Amino acid sequence: MGGQSTDRREVLRALSLAAAASQFSGFDRWAFASAKPHAGHAGSAPAKSSTTRYQPQFFSAEEYASLERLTEMIIPSDGTPGAKEAGVSEFIDFMVASDPEIQYRFRYGLGWLDTHARWLFGAGFRDLSEKQQNEMLEHLAYAQRYRPREEDGRAFFRLLREYAVMGYYTSRIGLEQLDYPGLQLVYDEMPGCPHQGDPEHKHLPPPKYKSLAVRNDA
Amino acid sequence: MPNTLYDVIVVGTGAGGGMAMKTLCEAGLKVCALNSGKRLDPVKDFKTHAQRYELTYRGFMDPKTRSRRHVCERETTQGIWEHDITFTVAPGSRWKWSRCQAVGGKSNFWGRSSARFGDIDFKAASLDGFDVDWPITEAEIGPYYSRVERMIGVASTVQNRPSNPDGEYLPPIKFRCLDHIFQQAANKLGILYLPDRCAQLTVPHNGHPACHYCGGCSSGCDSGSFFSPTWFTIPAAEKTGNLELRTDAHVKEVLVDEDGKAKGVSYIDRKTGQEVAVLAKAVVLAASCCETAKIMLNSKSRHWPTGIANSSGQLGRNLSDHLYGTPAYGYLPQLLGQPSRPDTVHESTVTWMPRWQNLANPREEKFIRGYSVYTNGGCKEFPSFHFQIEGFGSRFKRDIKRYYPTPFSFLIQAPSLPSKNNYIEIDPEVKDIFGIPVARFHFQWGSNELLMWEHCKQVCAELVKAAGGELWGAGDDPSAPGTSLHETGPCRFGNDPKKFVTNGFSQCHDVPNLFVCDASIFPFATDKTSTISIMAFTLRTCEYMVELFRRGSIDERKRRSKFE
Repeated sequence: MGGQSTDRREVLRALSLAAAASQFSGFDRWAFASAKPHAGHAGSAPAKSSTTRYQPQFFSAEEYASLERLTEMIIPSDGTPGAKEAGVSEFIDFMVASDPEIQYRFRYGLGWLDTHARWLFGAGFRDLSEKQQNEMLEHLAYAQRYRPREEDGRAFFRLLREYAVMGYYTSRIGLEQLDYPGLQLVYDEMPGCPHQGDPEHKHLPPPKYKSLAVRNDA
Repeated sequence: MPNTLYDVIVVGTGAGGGMAMKTLCEAGLKVCALNSGKRLDPVKDFKTHAQRYELTYRGFMDPKTRSRRHVCERETTQGIWEHDITFTVAPGSRWKWSRCQAVGGKSNFWGRSSARFGDIDFKAASLDGFDVDWPITEAEIGPYYSRVERMIGVASTVQNRPSNPDGEYLPPIKFRCLDHIFQQAANKLGILYLPDRCAQLTVPHNGHPACHYCGGCSSGCDSGSFFSPTWFTIPAAEKTGNLELRTDAHVKEVLVDEDGKAKGVSYIDRKTGQEVAVLAKAVVLAASCCETAKIMLNSKSRHWPTGIANSSGQLGRNLSDHLYGTPAYGYLPQLLGQPSRPDTVHESTVTWMPRWQNLANPREEKFIRGYSVYTNGGCKEFPSFHFQIEGFGSRFKRDIKRYYPTPFSFLIQAPSLPSKNNYIEIDPEVKDIFGIPVARFHFQWGSNELLMWEHCKQVCAELVKAAGGELWGAGDDPSAPGTSLHETGPCRFGNDPKKFVTNGFSQCHDVPNLFVCDASIFPFATDKTSTISIMAFTLRTCEYMVELFRRGSIDERKRRSKFE
């Protein structure tokens, strides 16, 4: 034991540089937008440009517009950043383009939603009011509001929500919403539990929801 | 150089191979080590600090590789796992076989749980009447464990447990909130909930810096703060100047002389496709449990028509593995909405419930032997519990955050008992891309380990209740065999040459200059993991080899008593 403290200092110095560097927003490869094809984005992503619109690799323009709307409903920008800021629909387009096994399920699901919207409200999903869109999703999302003959829609919603969660909570924005502790790359020691004298954790301070106070449910 | 006669060839560079190289080279022997894949530079090649948003597929990996991924393959480590050399699984059997090609092997990315085996494992057959005792005692192997622990650094506490010999430990990794909660609950059920033995440096050790808790262990450590051959044993062997390490060398067979003793190894140079022979006075196989058995079974000659050193007929038999599964998972309501805590930045097991079954009475339960349980949970990187939460919108987003500190899951580690139905053989028809016959696996879980699984689900459900937790569910089935990477048995050791492939020093009974330094020598998987034991037994075997070299009798079979 005793170790080599210079080595450790050296390691920590290098690490904190790396940590600082990774906070530079230019490193966020998922800020990619624009005509750059996917094959080229690893390591060489162009910076996000607000003037160039993302060109979907798999979805049609109409499908992609629905996808954007749906992901923003699932993870809204409600005072804290949501799917839109985190580029979730771009992520989903990329993953679906890379995965022949799920392409049909996404295409069929988006088609189902449009057809069902027309049947219910006489217009495609994108042309419904926010209230109507919300109502449609609530019947697919909450067990108490399930309706018969919407099984395909529910299956699609599950799939879509899974991919939205995958996209959002692996983005830097999403991980920051969770205060994901691994965004910090160096801890001097494993901090462990801070609640001395309360092993059963029965007397913790009440939780605060300052940043996530907005509710959209009834 | 093609005609060099080495003292020893070491096949494989993982936990066993690395330790063999170090021990033999430091004793002045000339060693040629063979590794099937390339060598990585941990500082340049390991993506230890890659955040998920920096990865092309965000850590979910290229979907097109879905069907052929290995258990511990990550997006950060793709490209170094064996996909080219195939294997087959017999009808009615299941087996997963993860092999890492890189120098250092799977030990670059291992889970680091490092409990010693003890007399409760070695003398299990005497206690419960099933199968065979091991040719070793706790007193004999203990000093070797101590030396390995001092070398690599293991964090834990002295626990005085009947099922777990204590060792020499660095300060333990601190308990998380969930650990304190479950420890209280486990105490109510009479189960001990303790720090695991974790080969992770909680303080600087032997020139290696302490862990910086970046959470990237399974992508390989960039600072050498937990044991891996890449950071520990291989550099030590290289420092002696006695090591020649050949990469991209896929071993085909052990070559024999006119007496049927080992005279070298033949391998395929994966870069050229050429077959190359290396000669040595002795051969150490440390290719990993099943690969070692496959090489031996493929080493057929006039002397060894069914595979080298297989006069017992036991080569490839007795395959044992850890049944893995999730006996319970859920969340702790106490922690709902609490601030995020660094619960997983160590990326290790931290705590476990070491075997508590069949201790006082070896036949107390419906099953014999015993299993251990590890706890996972807390603020993980990805909120994979999202399936448990209904809805969408701001409420969904808030719930994900609210539940983020609360989830937990247990992992059972239950040894399968050796069975005549579980074994490796050579596939009579299928050959790999180099024309080498492939391994064929026969394996199914048996009733003893399935009884442990059922028992564990019940106990864990009670534990969750006692902890005030809510159960989301349990795994329906245990994982596929091979998932744990803890397989043992196909070259198991014992004193009777008619019943065992290797003797108490892991030396082949039939071929005195052929040694086995991986988990294939262990008679069964026990409730503990095998890496530190591979190292302790390898250290002992290789010091025995050094002694034989010193006496000039490396190719003579020695009675064990003469050495002691």
